[in-house]
Amino acid sequence: MAEFVVVAGADALGEGEMRVFDVGGTRIAVANVAGTFYAFDDTCTHVGCSLAEGDLEEKTVICPCHGSEFDVASGAVLQGPARRPVKTYETRVEGDSLEVKG
Amino acid sequence: MSGTFVIVGAGLSGGAAAAALREEGFDGRVVLIGAEPQPPYERPPLSKEYLRGEVPFEQALVQDPRFYAENGIETRFGVPATCVDSVEKIIELDDGERVIYDGLLIATGGRNRRPSIPGMDLEGVYGLRTVANCDRIRQEIVPGRRAVVVGMGFIGSEVAASLRQSGLEVVVVDRNKMPLRRVLGDEVGRVIEEIHRDNGTTMVFEDTVAAFEGDGHVERVRTTRGRDIECDFVVVGLGIEPVIGLLAGTGVKLDNGVVVDEHCWTGVDGIYAAGDVANYYHPVFRRRIRVEHWQNALKQGPVAARNMLGKSEAYAEVPWFWSDQYEYNLQYAGFHTEWDELVVRGSLRERDFIAFYRKNGRVLAAVTIGRGRDLRRSMPLIKAQRPVDPGKLQDPEVELRTLVGAADAR
Ligand SMILES: Cc1cc2nc3c(=O)[nH]c(=O)nc-3n(C[C@H](O)[C@H](O)[C@H](O)COP(=O)(O)OP(=O)(O)OC[C@H]3O[C@@H](n4cnc5c(N)ncnc54)[C@H](O)[C@@H]3O)c2cc1C
Ligand code: FES
Repeated sequence: MAEFVVVAGADALGEGEMRVFDVGGTRIAVANVAGTFYAFDDTCTHVGCSLAEGDLEEKTVICPCHGSEFDVASGAVLQGPARRPVKTYETRVEGDSLEVKG
Repeated sequence: MSGTFVIVGAGLSGGAAAAALREEGFDGRVVLIGAEPQPPYERPPLSKEYLRGEVPFEQALVQDPRFYAENGIETRFGVPATCVDSVEKIIELDDGERVIYDGLLIATGGRNRRPSIPGMDLEGVYGLRTVANCDRIRQEIVPGRRAVVVGMGFIGSEVAASLRQSGLEVVVVDRNKMPLRRVLGDEVGRVIEEIHRDNGTTMVFEDTVAAFEGDGHVERVRTTRGRDIECDFVVVGLGIEPVIGLLAGTGVKLDNGVVVDEHCWTGVDGIYAAGDVANYYHPVFRRRIRVEHWQNALKQGPVAARNMLGKSEAYAEVPWFWSDQYEYNLQYAGFHTEWDELVVRGSLRERDFIAFYRKNGRVLAAVTIGRGRDLRRSMPLIKAQRPVDPGKLQDPEVELRTLVGAADAR
């Protein structure tokens, strides 16, 4: 069963920022969109670049390599060349910690 | 709106245009005609992941094959269009079918240039444009075999890299003194050259192919300067020419492709063009350009489609493309033919940089290895066409997005 894991302090990520955490061996990116945290696989489903190294525009993450766009809330592809969605994860803030259910 | 819209060319541009017509709510007839038997697919994997056998073909499809029937798009895959009557507005297909159109989008793309070199028709001498071409090259890929790649533009460079990655011996022959020199210049060309050298490709520069020789099947490449290069097969990558034959005699202006305005319109009633074949007026660079890249095909097809439906949307995207060679991701944005100065942020030697092509103080274009985010952030700068301080371009502490005033960023 997946469980919530503490990845960072709740204030570790400013608005509009993304960071990658290792959650049980998986690279998971967390994005702060206007105070809400979204977690998703950092590895782009196209050919594997790090999404956290790309840009975040509101709820869209843009891959730095070939420009695929994903919705950080649903993981859906908004623009190719990627075809498959990225996996998303639940997040929560418990006290001072940011947690991801990985 | 009703009527019949015909799209000739079922590549990325044509496929994206067909989808856009339906997205816009057009409920008339849409006919998508393609000379290739496959539904629209993307070509970039053909010199990369697909050539190396790492991904299945299905991943390159622009849409699920069922998409067309589900959206009432009539398809004629494997049937080339043969002639257009722009007065009666009829397009004729190779199997004799005639379709009367209200709107016609030309998205016929490009075909490989085939210089008349002796031996060009020998077996084992390949070009690479279609998945059929790619499948034939794939059958030649066996570790230890010897390949010659002719031309070190983007396709040649990528093919050379993929073949090396697949364990083949690779020799490239190019008339210039380094790869991609014409597009990227000496400094960046040198970086690409070093990447290929480090990966064990033999490069023959400032030489050209005099003949392909062999008995039925190619066995060696003879160069103008007298080299004989033994090989098992050859891939020729000497660029493409736009496919425009269909429009002869229609009154459409043909000059380096199909000449269109910023709305993708040819000036002839109902006829539009998009993608690799379109020589279009670019409002930012204030001249005609023809762009042979993925993003242009993806975005321009739909703009043409919407304009066919009566919208008046100018296509003003900053041209952008990528090229993957070995572990390096190269990207370019903008448009330049000449420049005064290359301003580099980062390190060319370490293959981690963004470099700006500057002319009269303006940034015309930028190229990067490994800094895709910075490239994206430079696009407003390129679009603004305003003088920029080179010190700031160079300074890693300066956030590129701040170099464009908010008013120019649009
Ligand atoms: C191997 C390879 C790798 C590439 N890699 C990259 C990359 O990494 N990045 C990048 O940005 N770009 C890349 N490109 C370029 C990109 O693929 C093209 O810009 C894009 O395919 C253009 O799309 P298009 O629809 O305009 O034309 P095309 O893809 O050429 O499609 C046109 C279609 O029209 C058909 N057609 C032509 N005449 C007729 C007719 N009379 N009747 C019916 N059909 C007809 C053709 O058969 C073809 O299927 C690559 C191209 C190739 C070949
Ligand atoms: S790896 Fe993300 S778009 Fe290609």
